[in-house]
Amino acid sequence: MNAKTLEIQQFLQLSVKLTAFSEFQLQGTGQLEEYYDAVYQIVGEKNMIQLLTTFDKIQDDTGSDEAAFDKQFRAKVLSDEKLGPITRSIIKLWFVGTWYQLPKSWNDTFGLLENDKTYVISPSAYKEGLLWPTIGSHPMGAKAPGYGTWSAPPEIPAID
Amino acid sequence: MSNDHGGLTTTIDHKTAASTNYDAVIVGSGISGAIAAKELCEKGFKVLILEAGPGKDLSLNGYEKYLDNFYTATSKDNNAPFPRNPNAPMPRGTDVDSLRPGEPNSANFLVQNGPLVTDTTYCKVVGGTTMHFESKTPRMLPEDFHMKDKYDVGVNWPMDYKELQPYYRKAEKEMGVSGEVASQNITGTDNYAEGYVFPMHGMPPSYLDQTVGKGLNGMKVDMKGEEHTLQVRPFPQGRNGIPNLEYKAFNDGENFVPEGAVSLHQAEIGERCQGNNNCTPICPVQAKYDARKTLVKALRTGYADLLPQTVASKVVVDDSGKVTELEYKHYDSMESSEYETGSFKGKIFVLAANAIENARLMLASGLQSSSKLMGKNFMDHPYLLTWGLLPEVAGTMRGTVCTSGISDLRSGEFRKEHAAFAIDIHNDGWGWATGSPYTNLHDIVDNMNKYGKELRHELVNQISTQLLMAVMIELMPDPSNSITVSPDYTDRLGNMRPIVSLSIPDYTLKAVEKARQVTRQIFQRLGAEDHTSYDPLDFGYVSYNGEGYALRGGNHIAGTHIMGDDKATSVVDKHQKSWDHENLYLIGAGSMPSIGTSNTTLTLAALCFKSTKKMLEDLI
Repeated sequence: MNAKTLEIQQFLQLSVKLTAFSEFQLQGTGQLEEYYDAVYQIVGEKNMIQLLTTFDKIQDDTGSDEAAFDKQFRAKVLSDEKLGPITRSIIKLWFVGTWYQLPKSWNDTFGLLENDKTYVISPSAYKEGLLWPTIGSHPMGAKAPGYGTWSAPPEIPAID
Repeated sequence: MSNDHGGLTTTIDHKTAASTNYDAVIVGSGISGAIAAKELCEKGFKVLILEAGPGKDLSLNGYEKYLDNFYTATSKDNNAPFPRNPNAPMPRGTDVDSLRPGEPNSANFLVQNGPLVTDTTYCKVVGGTTMHFESKTPRMLPEDFHMKDKYDVGVNWPMDYKELQPYYRKAEKEMGVSGEVASQNITGTDNYAEGYVFPMHGMPPSYLDQTVGKGLNGMKVDMKGEEHTLQVRPFPQGRNGIPNLEYKAFNDGENFVPEGAVSLHQAEIGERCQGNNNCTPICPVQAKYDARKTLVKALRTGYADLLPQTVASKVVVDDSGKVTELEYKHYDSMESSEYETGSFKGKIFVLAANAIENARLMLASGLQSSSKLMGKNFMDHPYLLTWGLLPEVAGTMRGTVCTSGISDLRSGEFRKEHAAFAIDIHNDGWGWATGSPYTNLHDIVDNMNKYGKELRHELVNQISTQLLMAVMIELMPDPSNSITVSPDYTDRLGNMRPIVSLSIPDYTLKAVEKARQVTRQIFQRLGAEDHTSYDPLDFGYVSYNGEGYALRGGNHIAGTHIMGDDKATSVVDKHQKSWDHENLYLIGAGSMPSIGTSNTTLTLAALCFKSTKKMLEDLI
């Protein structure tokens, strides 16, 4: 396994935690590598590696203990001045296919990133947003469910 | 023959067109222009259609580029699919800003003179504003044509409902209306008569409609001493559904065949709505009517020439008032300010650009109408948005943008006191009011600090229970609400831009207050959390009777070349022909003397069909 393959694997594991969608579902969007590449380009290698190794260590340390994971993840990632904003932008990326520019306070502390601007990654990123299946629907303007389906109650997928 | 590819690609050049004497020169390729072109071409008359915006979208490929623009736009507003074009700019809802007192805001295309700022929009591309309209198609009510006589407000039309009725039917056929007539007999009268059915069966009501209906049907509302009973009713829509076999009786014995996607090659899509929940700004499969469907019928006759990227810049008249030619500016590229000029000749001229652009062109040509009413009486439906969360999951964000609403307050004796209104139930949730679902996602991630499972639960709680009621409120004609022009404000090609002056009279503000009260009662009855709030800094903020509201533009622009039976008090006659110019028609909602509580497109389409009869008489 080369370094990039390993990092994508870690990015996938992180994404499973962030979205509560399974590896299988996330792979099924076809967006994993595009998102990994986009985030890598935007935040740079150093920040990306720091995020992935921090996450990896928390996962190793906490195993299957979800409460312990949550505590450490909040302490070391979500409330971290550098990693927190990056992670929140990754969550939104998965849910709507848009990278949201990091807050100004991040730039003030860690500097400007050349590629960090708000944009929709690609037409397919929009269509593969996880927000839509979360609410038992489909992205507006894509993956239409068919005539008259809207009359029936929504099928909101259970979260395991 | 100037067209190839079955009429869908135009090959005519400006030089050839300028040296041709057309039967009719039509400005605008939206629904009005397309209907006029089709009706004239089918009788063998030669027409030229000018479109200020680009026209690549007559191919499926071109249309799908619009779709990709939409997918990758960070703002999914009405004009998100269409590129910014400084040579033929159009208003964008995202461009509006509050006014500083005492000075107009000219930062964006529509110069806003206030006091109310409007975010109303329209489209300058082939197909016009039908490219992004929602395609709801209720008719106006019979009493809407007699506002002065019946309620002592506004003005009467120079025709009654019955006179327009056969043309409503033509418009419903052309736009491919799906609906149930039974749901439209709102004031108890049988407005449709003789067992009429729409071409297609109604769109099934959404689960959200049903959830609201369950709690709301039978609710009584007091309207100035008159009791009205509310029910959730489906709307007729220009959107392909299941053909109604009984429509044969109104279609020369033939079954109705839905018009699918416009394409150079056979493309079997768009013959039935798939529920993309994206009628505005763009239907991905073209199951929604847009004017290109009518336009291609004109082009396929071989009698129509279409020139996109050609902006009408001046209507030239002789001493008798007869139009002699129409000057244009043609640009090759949206990226460059270069253009060439010329003029076109025809027997009749038809301005079909929309209520703002028709008035703008006439005023920019120095033609104010001897009535001095050109550009006056500007109307649009103000919308009041109210939003709440239902106590149960209602599956919001599914279906067409709107399948049903409340139409029971569209008429009554209360119209002597205040405006009528109609309420839409928005299947696309709070988006119009708050930017949902994006704003919900931001709030849940950034402020509620959720991720994973909790985030997903919260998304369902906050989105799948959303109910947005958008209230469309009647606005009467008032000469002080207007479109004007000034050489101080021009676009890149040097054409004068429209200046909008708009204020909302008490007659309508009283209805705003009543609408807010009724929607509060609806939320109370449904056990919904009312989340409605209006920011005093909002560009559309108005105060009335101690309370504040934020209004939105309805994209139902009308009234600016008002129709009447007296040339002193109107710009066009009942055929939409200019009183001052014997060979000039100004068609579209600009002619409408009132707009009731109906989305304007179906009525303006009916008016266009009616006017083409007169045009044909002129040409024969």
